[in-house]
Amino acid sequence: MTYDPNHVVLSVRDLSVNYRAERGLVRAVSKASFDLHAGETLALIGESGCGKTTLNLALIRQLPKTASIDGNGILYTYRDGRQTDILKFSDRDMRRYLWSECSMVFQGALNSLNPVIRVSDMVYDTAAAHGIGRDEARKRALRLLEQVRLDPERVMRSYPHELSGGMRQRVLLAVSLILRPQVVIMDEPTTAVDILTQRSILDVLKLLREELNFSVIFISHDLAVAAEIADTVATMYAGEIVEIGPVNEVFYRSRHAYTLSLLNAAPRLSVGAEKLESIPGKPPDLIDPPAGCKFHERCAFVTDICRHTPPPLVAYNDGTHLASCYEMERVLAQAQATRKVSPL
Amino acid sequence: MTAVPAEPTQVSPAQSDPKPTLRARLRRITRSYLFRVLLSGIITIWAVTTFTFFLIRQMPGSPFEIKIDELMTRQSLTYEEAYRAAASIFNFDPDTPLLLQYTDYLGDLARGDMGVSITRTGTSVSSIIIRYLPWTLFCVGLSLLVSFVLGTLIGLAMGYWRGSWFDNLMTAIASILSGLPDYIIGLLIIVVFGVQLRWFDIGSVRGGVDPTITPAFSLEYIGSILSFATMPVLIYVLSSIGTWVLSMKSSTLSTLGEDYITVAKARGLSERRILTGYIGRNAMLPLVTRLAISVGFVLSGTVIIEEMFQYPGLGRNLFIAISGRDYTTMQGIFLVITIGVVLSNILADFVIGWLDPRVRIEGGNTSS
Repeated sequence: MTYDPNHVVLSVRDLSVNYRAERGLVRAVSKASFDLHAGETLALIGESGCGKTTLNLALIRQLPKTASIDGNGILYTYRDGRQTDILKFSDRDMRRYLWSECSMVFQGALNSLNPVIRVSDMVYDTAAAHGIGRDEARKRALRLLEQVRLDPERVMRSYPHELSGGMRQRVLLAVSLILRPQVVIMDEPTTAVDILTQRSILDVLKLLREELNFSVIFISHDLAVAAEIADTVATMYAGEIVEIGPVNEVFYRSRHAYTLSLLNAAPRLSVGAEKLESIPGKPPDLIDPPAGCKFHERCAFVTDICRHTPPPLVAYNDGTHLASCYEMERVLAQAQATRKVSPL
Repeated sequence: MTAVPAEPTQVSPAQSDPKPTLRARLRRITRSYLFRVLLSGIITIWAVTTFTFFLIRQMPGSPFEIKIDELMTRQSLTYEEAYRAAASIFNFDPDTPLLLQYTDYLGDLARGDMGVSITRTGTSVSSIIIRYLPWTLFCVGLSLLVSFVLGTLIGLAMGYWRGSWFDNLMTAIASILSGLPDYIIGLLIIVVFGVQLRWFDIGSVRGGVDPTITPAFSLEYIGSILSFATMPVLIYVLSSIGTWVLSMKSSTLSTLGEDYITVAKARGLSERRILTGYIGRNAMLPLVTRLAISVGFVLSGTVIIEEMFQYPGLGRNLFIAISGRDYTTMQGIFLVITIGVVLSNILADFVIGWLDPRVRIEGGNTSS
């Protein structure tokens, strides 16, 4: 594992995504910024509908037609050091970039495979689109399928419906790496599978990451999974990244009230039968978001200023840990009081 | 009294130990997909045949009565004279019990004999079918092919570029076309382009081929066949394409929403490959079954069009047979239609299995 904090692979600057809807503009992602470093695994956590998937679809520009992206760029650094802005790519450049530089493992492996073609044809299609011959593609696919602990020859011959959910998820993982991308986006890859399959997928992912050295953006609402696999954690709320920092910082020394509530709402094995605290209220309307901090209506730490002025992202720990919360100190104190032993 | 033990009921003398093998073989045959399909096909054909046999005899007026009426009005005969004349013309006794007629018919049919036309005395039903079936197969087959291929391609393009001017324009046209029955379209074309604008001579589009050209495998003869088929094909295509276009569009739209299309795009596949191998192939699946049903009805599909253009096909003969209550010819044509529907459904099962691995039949054409 070579997590190199000095080598930024993907730099997202003030990315906003809006959907046009009947009632108005849905601000699905607003001004998200983060850096993804070589070999880093960044976990994006947050409740359903907070914009995690939209953010990631924006990174590969696969948003529906009703969406519009703007921002100060998504800067990508190639292996040879060249840097480009993905937002400025032509469709042709984008097609070449996709999968060979940045691939994605989608949510719900059941529907991610074309039901009428074999796994081998999916591999060949992908390779052909990027100018790689059948033999080379086959060789790579067989090796990767073996690495994800499948029977390579049999799986290559199979149609999707002949594989189990866990097998399909692993096929997707293998296919996502076939062009040796630098960045792999994983959208809840372990959500639809049982706990044992989840375990084996995580193990396989860790091994592959060691060997092939790619960066991962890992979307999850399973905090335990995020804690296990991530180097960096970013919390999203109502389309904004409200806190981002090294995994232990964010989980042990949370500096945003929402992150803390999220952690308090997660079951902890180590603590025993403790009462879980749910977050009151419901996620805000993204067409007409609340003024000030978007979380203030549901926040236990809320003060006057939270209600009308949006909190800025403030850097702590030499700029490695960012959070946008006025009550950072009270949150931190409580986080440290409740999480002395283990965050989860 | 030979030394070799007799094998009384064995039909496969090559087997040295035939008894269990034969039973196993029979079981395998009866369990096989092809056998089940063929058996159900034969039962269907028998049921439809029986149903038509009795149903057409429930129609008001027998061929006999129609002929008597005709003779009485045309030649001003008395009823008795007309009855005797009709009885001498027809090879048909109206007093035979219905059940006996039915068993006779089935018996003949089992030997491959479809009987003799009642009104066209001396002409066998099979000769009518052999003579006119190719015309219908050619004309409607061509129409169906054109309409299906063109319709699915247009529908695919409309779905893929939904909301474009092309989509909006074609949706409007297709909706209108699918609402118009074929005979209205036929009449409109004749009245507007034939009578009003005089783009073609109405007399010259009637028939199947120019009778002055000697039938041969020549460019002239084939050209004549094609030019006479233009009108019926055009009208059939216009009347059926709307449905193909609209169903392909909706099927394409639902396929576009599938995750594997997003994944294919994310993999950087070319637009053409996504359109054919991912969207097109999946969107076509529900249409194939409908195509099979249409293929079955190819034979009967264009009764009115064929009559309108005096096209020498089976549809026009069915029209004539029904008007004259020609029971045997009607039975023959209905039988051909039934066989067509059954066969095309069997074919559809295999085509669907070939296109969609999920519905491949066990022991059928699986390749593993």
